[in-house]
Amino acid sequence: MKRVLNTVLLIVFVITLNFIIFELMPGTQASISNLVQNPRVFDPTQVARLLKLYNFCKEVTITGPHSYNCVPTTIWDRFSAYFVNMITFNFGDSFQTNKPVLHDMIQTGRLVNTLTLLGVATTVALLIGTLLGVVAAAKRGSIFDSGSVTLSLITFSLPTFWMGLLFIMIFANRLQLFPSGGVTPAYWAIKTPDLLGQFLTRVQYLFLPALTLTLFFYGGNLLLTRATMTEALSEDYSNTGRAKGLPERTVLFKHALKNASLPLVTNAALSFGGLLGGAIITETVFNWDGLGFWLFNAIGWKDYPVMQAMFFIIALCVIAANFISDIFYGILDPRIKYE
Amino acid sequence: MPVLQLDGLTTNYRTVRGWVKAAEDVSFEVEKGEALGLVGESGCGKTTVALSILKILPSGARIRHGKIIFDGRDLVPLSDSEMRKIRWKGISIVFQGAMNALNPVFKVGDQIVEAIRLHEDVSKGDAMRRAESLLELVGVEPSRVNNYPHEFSGGMRQRALIAMALASNPQLLIADEPGTALDVIVQAQVLKLMRSLKEKLGLSMIMISHDLSIVAEVCEKVAIMYAGHLVEYGSIEAIFKEPLHPYTQGLLGAFPGIKGERRKLTSIPGQPPDLLAPPAACRFHPRCPYVMDICKKEKPLLEKAGSGDHYVACYLY
Repeated sequence: MKRVLNTVLLIVFVITLNFIIFELMPGTQASISNLVQNPRVFDPTQVARLLKLYNFCKEVTITGPHSYNCVPTTIWDRFSAYFVNMITFNFGDSFQTNKPVLHDMIQTGRLVNTLTLLGVATTVALLIGTLLGVVAAAKRGSIFDSGSVTLSLITFSLPTFWMGLLFIMIFANRLQLFPSGGVTPAYWAIKTPDLLGQFLTRVQYLFLPALTLTLFFYGGNLLLTRATMTEALSEDYSNTGRAKGLPERTVLFKHALKNASLPLVTNAALSFGGLLGGAIITETVFNWDGLGFWLFNAIGWKDYPVMQAMFFIIALCVIAANFISDIFYGILDPRIKYE
Repeated sequence: MPVLQLDGLTTNYRTVRGWVKAAEDVSFEVEKGEALGLVGESGCGKTTVALSILKILPSGARIRHGKIIFDGRDLVPLSDSEMRKIRWKGISIVFQGAMNALNPVFKVGDQIVEAIRLHEDVSKGDAMRRAESLLELVGVEPSRVNNYPHEFSGGMRQRALIAMALASNPQLLIADEPGTALDVIVQAQVLKLMRSLKEKLGLSMIMISHDLSIVAEVCEKVAIMYAGHLVEYGSIEAIFKEPLHPYTQGLLGAFPGIKGERRKLTSIPGQPPDLLAPPAACRFHPRCPYVMDICKKEKPLLEKAGSGDHYVACYLY
C-alpha cells in the first residue's frame, strides 16, 4: 500500500519536473512574439486560435491586423491543464504531422517497433549476461572467466553509436549480409511477401540494431552476476548443497542463483532508463522507426507535444520497472514482506 | 575395520604466491560408532580436512597425497559422479548453523526433502513426512517444515541442519563447529542432542571445533591439529590427563576449568604461522618453550607415547 502511494507521489513529481523543464526551455516567448508580430503569417483569427490552443492566453480579442488583446495565463493555469492532460494521456497534436501524438505513437507502429527491438535485446542480454556470469563465477580464475570479463568490459565501454556504425560498415557495406537500416524494406509498400518471408526479412532488419543494444547491455549484467554469484558460492549453503550430493549445475542454478538474483533484478530495473537512452541512439543510427528515433527527430523539430509525451512515458516506464522489481523481490526473497 | 581411515592426507591451496599448505600428512581413524574430535585454532586446516573427505574443496585446492579410505574404498581417485553417491548417503556434514548453511530462500522442509530424494526414490509426500519425523527427532516442531530458515532461531537452525544431515542415514557424520556462535545453553542442548543421536543411531562422527571442552562432551578420541599438522592424537582421557605436546598443553592451559583450583590462564606466545611459508620441520618450534635444535631440522613423526592409545609428534618423548 505504502509502495503504491510512493509510486503515485513519484508520478506527480515527474509530471511537475517535466512541466518545469518545458517552462524553462528558451523559445516560448519568442514563439509567442513570432506568432503575434510576424506580419507574414496567418490571418488574425488563426493567430487567436493558436494563442488559445497553446494556452498562452486565456482570452484573445483581435484589436487590429497585427495586434491582439491577450489575457495571459498564469503558471498555475498552465500547470493544472498540463497535469490533467498528462494523467488522461491527452498529449495533443504533433507539430510535425498535426495528428494526435498517441496516433503517431501507436498507429504508425513505432511503439511496436521499439518494443520489439528493446524486448529482443533485453531478453537476449539478460539471458546471455546471466548465463555467462554464472559460468564465469563457477570457473573463477580460468581463461573463460578473464576472457568473458574483458570482452564484456570492452563492449560495455564502447559507445553504442560507434559500435552501430562499425556494424553497418562491416556487415551491411562490406559483407552485405544485413540491411544498413530501417524496419522493413521499402518494396513492401508495393508487394508484401507471405508471413514466413515477412518474418525472415524482419529478423534480418532487426539483427544489427538488436546486436548493438545487446552488446551494450549484457556486459553490466555479466559483471554483476559474476560478483553476486561469487559471493553466493562462497556461502555455506553452496557447500551444503555440494555435500548433499547435488550436481554442480543444481548448486549453481538453483541454490546460488536464486540468492544471487536479487541485485540482478534491481539492476535490470535501474538500467531500464539507460536502455531507453541507448535505444534513442541505436534507433537513430539504424534508422529504426521507433519511439527513440521519433523523439530524436522531435527534438530537432521542437515538437513539444511529442517530447512531453515521450519524457512522461519514459519516466512512467522506469517507475513501473522499479515497482515491478519490488514485487519480484518479495517473490524471490522470503525475508522481504510488504504490508 | 574402521569406517574412515585417513592416511597421509595432504591438501594444498594454489594461490598466486604459491601453495598454501593447509593440511599435511594427516592420518587418523574413526571406528564404527566412535566420535573423533578434531581440534585446533582457526586456520589450522580442520575444515580443509573435512572438505577433503567429502571432496567438496573450493577450486584451486588439491589433494596432493594420501588416501581417504571410507568403507574399504579409497575416495581420492573417485570421479565427481561417484563421489556424489557417497556424499550424504555415506558421509554427511553439518555446518555452523549460525551461518547461512541452510539456503535462506528455500523452505527448511524442501531442503531436507531435496536431500532425501537425491539418494532415494521416494515420493514428495513420503519424503516430506520423513522430514517432519527427522525434525521431531532433533526436537523441532514438525509443522515447522514449512518455515524459511530466517524464521528459525539459531539453535533451531543448527538442529534442522543436524536433521538434514541424518536424512539419508549416513554412516559417518562430520560436524563442523556445531554450536559455535550459539549461546552456551543452546550450545549445551545441541551437544546433548548430538551425543544422544550418536548413541541412538550408532553413528560414527568427526566433530570439528576450536574448543577442547566441546569435543570432550561428545567424543572418545581427539586429534589436535596445528598449522596443518596433526600433533597429538589419542583417547580423550589420555589427552586431558596427560597432554604431551607443548601445543596441547598450551591449549589446555588457556581454558578455565570449573572444578579444581583457581589458576591464572596462560596463553601461547606468538602467532599461528603463515601457511604459505610455514616454519620448517616441526611447525610449532617458533612458539615452543622447549624448542631444541632437532625441532628446526626434521619433522617429528606421530609416535606412540605415554600410556594407552596415545600418539604425539614431538621430540620430547
